[in-house]
Amino acid sequence: MNGFTAFFKKELLEAIRNYRVLILFSVTAIFGMMSPLTAKMMPDILANVGVEGMVLKIPEPTFIDAFTQFFKNFSQMGTVVLLLVFGGLLSQDLAKGTLIIPLSKGLSRHAVILAKYASALTLWTLSYALATLINYGYTLYFFQTISVSHLFFSLFCLWLFGAFLLAFLLLASVVTRGAFGGLLVTAAGLGILLICQAIFRMDPFNPLKLVSENVALLTGKAAFDQLLNTAWSTCALILSTLILAMMLFKKKSI
Amino acid sequence: MNILEMRHISKNFGKHLVLNDLNFTVPEHSIFGLIGKNGAGKTTAMKMIMGFLKPTSGKILVCGENVAYGNTATNRFIGYLPDVPEFYGYMTAKEYLVMCGRITGLKKLQIHERVQELLPLVGLDGIKREIHSFSRGMKQRLGIAQALLNTPKLLICDEATSALDPQGRKEILDLLSVAADQTTVIFSTHILSDVERICDSIGLLHEGTLALHGKLSEVKNTYRKEAVRIETIDEVQARRLFEHLRTLSFIQSVETSQCAVTVQLHDPQKNGLKIIDLLSDEQIPITNYQLLEPTLENVFLDVIK
Repeated sequence: MNGFTAFFKKELLEAIRNYRVLILFSVTAIFGMMSPLTAKMMPDILANVGVEGMVLKIPEPTFIDAFTQFFKNFSQMGTVVLLLVFGGLLSQDLAKGTLIIPLSKGLSRHAVILAKYASALTLWTLSYALATLINYGYTLYFFQTISVSHLFFSLFCLWLFGAFLLAFLLLASVVTRGAFGGLLVTAAGLGILLICQAIFRMDPFNPLKLVSENVALLTGKAAFDQLLNTAWSTCALILSTLILAMMLFKKKSI
Repeated sequence: MNILEMRHISKNFGKHLVLNDLNFTVPEHSIFGLIGKNGAGKTTAMKMIMGFLKPTSGKILVCGENVAYGNTATNRFIGYLPDVPEFYGYMTAKEYLVMCGRITGLKKLQIHERVQELLPLVGLDGIKREIHSFSRGMKQRLGIAQALLNTPKLLICDEATSALDPQGRKEILDLLSVAADQTTVIFSTHILSDVERICDSIGLLHEGTLALHGKLSEVKNTYRKEAVRIETIDEVQARRLFEHLRTLSFIQSVETSQCAVTVQLHDPQKNGLKIIDLLSDEQIPITNYQLLEPTLENVFLDVIK
């Protein structure tokens, strides 16, 4: 436990001093601000670029549109930012050899994985919460609230996907070597999930579903129960990914 | 009591055999120098003691406890200084030591005390800069401070001086001598003068096994070569001396290079006088007469030949 706390603190300090916190929070805050703004201005933008002779009929933007933008931003650019900010979470430590001294001081290898996951998850949670609050505030300001179902669950799904991504990144960093191995394997893994979703229609247990169905959930076009199952299976996946990462890391040559 | 026991340790990376049935023990309160060429397996051996690498076969005991690969509890007895210690560059020396103290399970007050003791000892007191701006020597000294933090029973230094300039080397060697009062030190290196300076026993790693093992003085005695080196004033005199010496019965071999003649002989103290008689009889002027002491370098080169 000593080791976990000390290493968790070290991870947070590292994120602050290496500007990772700054980058993550600014980007997510921008997403939070931009999403309702783009939704609001989209009709005006389209009207200005309208081609002569073409009449664009755009419905008045709503609360839903703001969240559509928000989910789109986070599931695409957000994933990239998350991977870039946390890409070296474990790989850097392994490649540089900075873990050798802490491990020689008796730090347990399980604590390394858990502390890294906990710190990354904390930062992801805080930045996501910040973005959500900003987004919600602006959306309320620009649009009148309309009744949407499952807004919180929909937001939770996106957060859970981030949590899954971080766990997978850790596992990928354990099984690869070099400073970018984990990042590349994670990107490849996401590609495989995309293929599974697009071609093989392996929907029910695919974590990608968590970020592709949020809007449909808001408008009632997707079934809540189905997505809830995906959420549960993703939780189980996160847990098993972490356990596997810990087991493999324990036997890794440093 | 033996602090460290290596029993029948073998290790291969693929087909390449690095350690081959390595056996040795290190008794308490000694400074053990593990020497060997680059690539002889010194770092491999040390990483196995730390549980970072898995031996292909064999057993390692630290303070009587078995070393387990992966998470090993025996690390609580050990302070480890890697050859090029890598720190978190964004921390200050004090922050780093405090982190290490917490990891190793010291209480807050203990950490504070130890840090106050160690920072002045390694000459990093009052330096508030972040570690990334440290020189190699400073990093090495910080490495020693972290290794000593939990007052280890065994201090393992892997090539601690190899990358340093003469002054940095001296500082580290002095620190290790001080540390050796309270702990057992294993010191790996290929710089033989460093070993001669601080170690009391040595092991020479060659082709995966310990080719030599014992007290430094004993090892030197075993490999003592009885030789005398005489320098004359010019090459002609050296040639003359060479011709005369060749005929003497107690001389094993004679070599000459420029003005110097090196002679191997039985009982150099007694027979040396006969050489001096010869020099005076034949009127050969000399500039230097020296009994050759065995250096570790000669022993080293002899063994790995």
